Amino acid sequence: MILDKFRNFSIIAHVNHGKSTLADRLLEETGTIEGRNMKAQLLDMLDLERERGITIKLVPVRMNYKANNGQEYVLNLIDTPGHVDFTYEVSRSLAACEGAVLVVDAAQGVEAQTVANSYLAIDLNLEIIPILNKIDLPSAQPDRVKKEIEDIIGINAADAVNVSAKTGEGISDLLERIVRDVPPPNGDPDAPLQALIFDSVYDNYKGVICYVRVVNGTLRAGKNIRFMSTGRDYELDEVGIFRPDMVKISELGPGEVGYLAASVKTIDEARVGDTVTESRRPAASPLPGYKKVKPVVFCGFYPVEREEINQLREALEKLQINDSALSFEPENSAALGFGFRCGFLGLLHMEIAKERLSREFGVDLVATAPNVVYQIVLINQSVIEAHKPSDFPDQVKIEEIREPYIKLTIFIPEQFVGAAMQLCQEKRGTYVGMDYITPERVRLTYDMPLAEFILDFHDRLKSCTKGYASLDYDHIGFRTADLVKVDLLLHDEPVDAFSFICHTDQAYHRGHAVVGKLKELIPRQLFEIPVQAAIGKKVIVRMNIKAVRKDVLAKCYGGDITRKRKLLEKQKEGKKRMKQVGRVSIPQEAFLAFMDVTKSEDK
Amino acid sequence: MTQSMNPFEPPAGGLSLYIHVPFCERKCPYCAFESKVPSVGERDLWLEMLSKELEWWEKRIGKPSLSTCYIGGGTPTVITGPQWVRLAEIIDSHFMFESDAEVTVEANPNSLKADHLLFWRDWRVSRVSIGVQSFDDAELIQLGRLHSAAQAYEAISASLASGFSVNSDLMFGLPGQTFRNWSRTLSQAVKSGIDHISLYQLTLEPGTLWESMPEQDLSDGYLPYRWAQWYMPRKGYNQYEIANFAKEGHESRHNINYWEEGEYLGVGPGASGFLKGWRYKNISGITEYSRSLDRGGSAIASGERLFGEKRVSEAAVLALRMSKGIDREDFSNKYGALEEKKIIEKLSRFPEDLYDISEKRISLSSKGMRVANRIWSELV
Ligand SMILES: Nc1nc2c(ncn2[C@@H]2O[C@H](COP(=O)(O)OP(=O)(O)O)[C@@H](O)[C@H]2O)c(=O)[nH]1
Ligand code: SF4
Ligand SMILES: [Mg+2]
Repeated sequence: MILDKFRNFSIIAHVNHGKSTLADRLLEETGTIEGRNMKAQLLDMLDLERERGITIKLVPVRMNYKANNGQEYVLNLIDTPGHVDFTYEVSRSLAACEGAVLVVDAAQGVEAQTVANSYLAIDLNLEIIPILNKIDLPSAQPDRVKKEIEDIIGINAADAVNVSAKTGEGISDLLERIVRDVPPPNGDPDAPLQALIFDSVYDNYKGVICYVRVVNGTLRAGKNIRFMSTGRDYELDEVGIFRPDMVKISELGPGEVGYLAASVKTIDEARVGDTVTESRRPAASPLPGYKKVKPVVFCGFYPVEREEINQLREALEKLQINDSALSFEPENSAALGFGFRCGFLGLLHMEIAKERLSREFGVDLVATAPNVVYQIVLINQSVIEAHKPSDFPDQVKIEEIREPYIKLTIFIPEQFVGAAMQLCQEKRGTYVGMDYITPERVRLTYDMPLAEFILDFHDRLKSCTKGYASLDYDHIGFRTADLVKVDLLLHDEPVDAFSFICHTDQAYHRGHAVVGKLKELIPRQLFEIPVQAAIGKKVIVRMNIKAVRKDVLAKCYGGDITRKRKLLEKQKEGKKRMKQVGRVSIPQEAFLAFMDVTKSEDK
Repeated sequence: MTQSMNPFEPPAGGLSLYIHVPFCERKCPYCAFESKVPSVGERDLWLEMLSKELEWWEKRIGKPSLSTCYIGGGTPTVITGPQWVRLAEIIDSHFMFESDAEVTVEANPNSLKADHLLFWRDWRVSRVSIGVQSFDDAELIQLGRLHSAAQAYEAISASLASGFSVNSDLMFGLPGQTFRNWSRTLSQAVKSGIDHISLYQLTLEPGTLWESMPEQDLSDGYLPYRWAQWYMPRKGYNQYEIANFAKEGHESRHNINYWEEGEYLGVGPGASGFLKGWRYKNISGITEYSRSLDRGGSAIASGERLFGEKRVSEAAVLALRMSKGIDREDFSNKYGALEEKKIIEKLSRFPEDLYDISEKRISLSSKGMRVANRIWSELV
């Protein structure tokens, strides 16, 4: 097949604007999948993605298409995740393409990720084909939205395609436009091999499977290959394409999208963004853009049953194979026992990992409140990173604390501007700018500490804007902040799982909320328990959990003895599931609810 | 000394017998005991089956002599005068009685008749336990009881006059029960001249009419119980067990036997027994129970023998129900010094005012009794 018959493209969109539905229609229209064999939204493979309606994992697919000009084309569609947590993956997928179909909901208009994803694509020199989806809706206003696209993003939308991914209207026009407007790849089949890894998954039999786009040279089974970031060589077992199931073929030439398997054992050896070359004739340089993704949000995962620590470790290892951005290392907590400190790309990433661990690997876990990475400058001028509150050194040794900031962009209807600004203010945001996209819609920009953002910003924004807001953010580095570590003490013993970092001005308020919640969640015991929040040695909040005075007075005669014993045993079982901190038993729920406290009770 | 583990051999010493009467005039809305309103002929059927069940046992354990006997239910006063004659005959034909045997019968104030009292005295009954529950008429209606406070008072007086040691059951923690109501019920009980009082806190049991009542409708039990612990001893009734107060010498020996892990034979539908370390439970429901006995089978539905730690902890929990608690020497002789130490070790994790450990005994303090469930759940 000659290069000018290939078209590699992605679909980019704000969440729910119809990316997955559109992909399904394309598969159907090109006969790649028979309509009757189709599950709705075939490309979102994980159950979880289907449930949440977001795409996490990229699933490329190859379609054959006979255009109106009578020529046969091969269209490679690379779906992209639709959430800011996964920006790096999106950019790698886009780097494997020459064009992008920009889907905008014709009723909703441009939203935060429409802008973010468009800019990613423009940055990578992709041809952008804007389309207006959901034109079947009575509320669709394609012309108004076209103007928005031009005003906000700045690309020409005059001949944007009107489609309905639901009814199929406009799909054939779109296919023609892809053939017409997306440039064919160029590349030298005889040059040294350069192939971009844009995703990888783990297979029990084949090892790591890399999803690749060949840029130059040819990938042939049986040859030895090298991953350029590690310099390690492997024998290539298999190459193939996606239809959308994997189908083995003998070679992949420049411009082609497919997969390779080379008995790679761990995901670390074949990272997304790396370049694959031939061992015998390596390319002079790797393709641009590879970076190791750095987690920005951390939290501790602990097994509910202490004995299940090994199951948790195994599950994390397996999960990491399919989620290379996940990082973890063992940690030990006085309250929770052995567990792992895990790093994530964002909150959604964390929640997905948590849910997959319980759903796919059956481990019940307690997650500590998430926190960001802090940079701490010590009196002696050295700088350390703190991934959790207990990494904080003694208050007296600290010269300065820096926390990560984001630039936040919010799109909202005009009437919610006041509420959104108030929220941003409260979240220690610094106003950057505001502009009217249309008389009714506003774009707000703030710089904000990431810690405030991950706490509950998204939920609060949703509720104060009735769900009409969309947002996007970029990491903009560290800034000095007036932060303190607040310790929580139960019966005079610090419980590290409950300690947190916050702005000095909020310490009392948040300490109060957490102490109050713990007082509510920890059942009365046989002695009085003081619950305290403290900064260093200074107690800022104190409440007492009163002692139990009386349990049910149960009679017990001949016929009740066995029943009574079983009741006591059950009671004891219940207690076993509590974590013991000194003499205090803390129920699992307290740890679980703690996350919610730090989210919702914080005002 | 190796002890026999075979429950189907004659017992070594005096035995306790429990007989379950599975009938009531009306089912109370909170009650999970095995009892129902008897249909025609059902009481006679029960008598004949009881006789069969006791024959079955006699073939195995012979004709042991009883130190205590307890006829409970249900409501034994639902059994008529002539049926009582037959019941006594059945019992006497299968057992001997020790000369000072304690024989208790439960009674409800509305169905307790003069001929019951007369017959019981002539036979061998020494104790009558009356289901009073409350001396407040409104509470009695709420509880679905068929008697008034005045009737309860009469029943107690008549029983005392007939020379019996008399107990009554009283309930607290009722929805809407005020502290005044409760203290009045207690003082009425004291005034009635009764010898023994058993307290119950209302609990919402599965399978009862009240099972789905919201838990928070129940009144708090702390104050009423605390009050009883303070008041009763001042009126001459000592707390000898979590739920029981008695004048000197009126403690229920039959019940103490349960808590001391003594042996007892239980007969009748749904009854339980404990013989040679083996706990068993009878078939529930008069029909099923009769069917098995009619076929020449036993009435036993299931059995269980505890070993090791479970056995020890059960013994400790039962003994700690009583004010006198665990006899340290007996306990270590029976289960080993190590086990005794473990109990002490576990108790010492609790605040000190909840228990007492002396050279001879381990027991819960009055305060400990109020939170006994919590303490026990650490011991099992
Ligand atoms: N009416 C209408 N609904 C659509 C259309 N395309 C997608 N949807 C619906 O919009 C929602 C989001 O679609 P989905 O494809 O999951 O969006 P994604 O988040 O961008 O992948 C789903 O409920 C779809 O059924 C369309 O053309 N018309
Ligand atoms: S009289 Fe006693 S046994 Fe009978 S139903 Fe009422 S509480 Fe239960
Ligand atoms: Mg989707």
